[in-house]
Amino acid sequence: MLTTVEGMQSEIFVPVTPKPVFTELNKPLSECCVAFITAGGIHKKSQVPFNTSGDFSYRTIEFDTPSSELMVTHGGFDNSDINKDVNCMFPIDRLHELVAEGFIGSLPKETYTFMGGGGNVEKFRNVTGPEIAKKLKAQGVDVVLCTGGCGTCHRSATIVTRCCEEAGMSCCVIAALPPIARQQGAPRITAPHVPIGSNAGEPNNIPMQTAILKDSLEWVRDCPSYNQIKVLPYEYRHNV
Amino acid sequence: MPAEKPKKWKIQTDPQDSGRIKQEVNDMSLTKEQVAEHMKDPAIFCCRRQKGLKISEADLEDPAIFDDMIDAGLLKLSDDGLTIEQVLGTTLTTDVEALTPITPAVLDHVNEISAPAADEKPEETEAAAAPAPVPAAPQITTTTGSDGMIHIEIGKAEKIEGIKLDVPVFGGPAGPAGPAPVIPAAAAPAAKKGEKKVIRTLTKKHIKITDVEIGDETSIKDGKITIDKKLTELALKEDPLCKSLALDVIYPDKRHVYTDTIMDVCPIATKVEGELGEGVTKVADGVVFMLTGVDEDGVQVHEFGSSEGYLDERMYFGHPGCADENDIIIRCHAVIASKTGMTRPGPFAAHKCQDYIIQAVRDKLKTYEGEVVREEVCEDVRREGNPRVVLVKEIMGQGAMHDNVICPNEPCGVFGGQKNVDCGNVPIMLTPNQVRDGSIHALTCIGPATKEMTRHYIREPLVEGLAADPELDLIGVIFVGSPQVNDEKMWVSERLGSLLESLDVDGCIITTEGFGNNHIDFIQHIGQAGKRGIPVVGVSFCAYQGQLVVGNKYATAMVEENMDAGGFENNIAGCSCITREVAARAIQMLKNRMAGVDIKPAPKKWNNDVINANNKLLGLPETKLVESGTLH
Repeated sequence: MLTTVEGMQSEIFVPVTPKPVFTELNKPLSECCVAFITAGGIHKKSQVPFNTSGDFSYRTIEFDTPSSELMVTHGGFDNSDINKDVNCMFPIDRLHELVAEGFIGSLPKETYTFMGGGGNVEKFRNVTGPEIAKKLKAQGVDVVLCTGGCGTCHRSATIVTRCCEEAGMSCCVIAALPPIARQQGAPRITAPHVPIGSNAGEPNNIPMQTAILKDSLEWVRDCPSYNQIKVLPYEYRHNV
Repeated sequence: MPAEKPKKWKIQTDPQDSGRIKQEVNDMSLTKEQVAEHMKDPAIFCCRRQKGLKISEADLEDPAIFDDMIDAGLLKLSDDGLTIEQVLGTTLTTDVEALTPITPAVLDHVNEISAPAADEKPEETEAAAAPAPVPAAPQITTTTGSDGMIHIEIGKAEKIEGIKLDVPVFGGPAGPAGPAPVIPAAAAPAAKKGEKKVIRTLTKKHIKITDVEIGDETSIKDGKITIDKKLTELALKEDPLCKSLALDVIYPDKRHVYTDTIMDVCPIATKVEGELGEGVTKVADGVVFMLTGVDEDGVQVHEFGSSEGYLDERMYFGHPGCADENDIIIRCHAVIASKTGMTRPGPFAAHKCQDYIIQAVRDKLKTYEGEVVREEVCEDVRREGNPRVVLVKEIMGQGAMHDNVICPNEPCGVFGGQKNVDCGNVPIMLTPNQVRDGSIHALTCIGPATKEMTRHYIREPLVEGLAADPELDLIGVIFVGSPQVNDEKMWVSERLGSLLESLDVDGCIITTEGFGNNHIDFIQHIGQAGKRGIPVVGVSFCAYQGQLVVGNKYATAMVEENMDAGGFENNIAGCSCITREVAARAIQMLKNRMAGVDIKPAPKKWNNDVINANNKLLGLPETKLVESGTLH
């Protein structure tokens, strides 16, 4: 016989999916101002690195910053892919190419990056998220794309993305861990088959990075309703 | 680009399985399979419904998600709302909006249900899966068909006639046999009564060490370890990524020293007889190695937070993975190649080179006949007739310190072992004795507070607690890695599910170190057990910072490891890990689950009072939180 004890209570709660938030995109992508934010710990080499055990501050990155001046400070995944090519988390070079091609209208002057790992939920929801959203909106941004990074990064990424959506921009989380983006209530989600650490595609694989961006932008345009996932047909395995 | 609206994408996640992306639309209304377990739950329309509709399960929202919807402000239940069994088959007399409770005012009639539901849990007996029979006038027949369905036919009731319901037994996929019912633990085969049968014995001899010196040769004499300082040069040949090593000794009364980030705490243990898990092992008592590291640029070799700082403030002395209060610490400080800290080979080089030095000490310990302060006899046993349980330990497998060496040649060693990342992170079964004999060398990842260091495994409280419990039959310890890619997480978890099924276990405890992406696997593993009807308890650090990022309906018996006042990863090595108290709560919850004793649902926010209430019930000391001041 087993000894049993009456009155015990489970100690950990299962998360709640928050209320829907959805801003439909009402103009062609070619006329849109597109911003890209990331929770993947990207910053300029000249800036103060993030605290890897949790940090709700953010860094300002001008879109004319050369990608060679960017780096990563993040403890939640193998950094070697980003060390090779920062575009695999923050595809700044690809975005400039999309403007040149006419696929999107423009980029804002600057964007904002953070390290979402272990992110303080209340701070991201009530302080950092609304601040980033306000600053992007003030620059006339129509569309916001976002990469996560690690697991809790996807949570922070989703929280900030929801703030942007609430501020009237149409957003999509490019998720390496789509179950988190979904449960945390991302407005739209695309899911390439990539490892955490190269969430925006294989390093130095320009066609893949471009395709993930274009498909995600089209999903911002085409996604019929809140919290829908589009699985993307791109696969990359990082042999760590 | 033309802004043409495409047809509706048919992609959604399976609501029963948070990790699985299904390629089809699956609205949230109830299925025939689900309706059986929700007959007494509130009836809520999932979508707008029009006057004249005869209500079926497809019109109703799944009650499993009500809590979330109420919290999200999407749903308000009504006091005069009806239950599902009261509305099935009735007709709507007016149009009703989605997510509206169904009340008598909108129906032509209400099904009368005079008998309360049986108290039994649906899965306990076959008949209980059916709605309670209505005893009075209605003529109802309930049969269990060979197709695994319960057929309910109401021939005539007061206001309804001719309703037929086909409800699958246990709510699982119907088949000729149906899924096996969970056998209550108490009803285990009578023939065997849980007699202990010893499979193998491991004797751990704890040898007293009273001093350590870095000198000119390696020896152990009269309780004193001397380590040849030239080993720090020789060890570098083990791996070119390790650029330098330095050894020093930190005594218990001189802990207020600066330390670089703590990569690992590793005992000195060696085999003197037999293989890992059997025979005789000597363990140096009163001394441990502590690996610290930076790269050539001075960047700390850490991941989710660094424990650099004053040692007395940066380690939770006495916790299983840590140094004990009175341990002498041999600090091995490694400098690895620039920018290799957050890659897989860099930190591994530091562990490999330290192991070279430890091996020199092990070789001396093998023949040193010093004072045995404690002889610990560990047994791999079978207690046939007791509930079969398995411990599942999810370990990190994303690479770059998220990795572990499994079954090295020497206890807690590196050489000769295989890394779980290289093994594809698939589940690997070890015996309790193998774990207690240092089969895991942790390359340690995640935050300092929540990582399980090498010393943790050789004295894992859950392994010790389950193995010693005379009411249980611990059949083994499964180690399963957490891969980097979502698809691989699902793949690995499915392998674990098949393994759990084939082991025919009556219950399992699933633990994970760290938090975040590995909680996807963790929850998935809990689901793999849960959907097979295996009672399951989950153990993890979650609290505030690590609160679960995904969930499912099986994660209802959960044990918290947090010991930080703010609920944060506080960068104190080994702070929020599995302790003796955590293990005791988890084992008791598992017994409750297996015996069908209720565990109350968790409150919607982390609350240490809940943990202490459980501690109190079990006569355990209070969980006192560390005021680290962490807020990030």
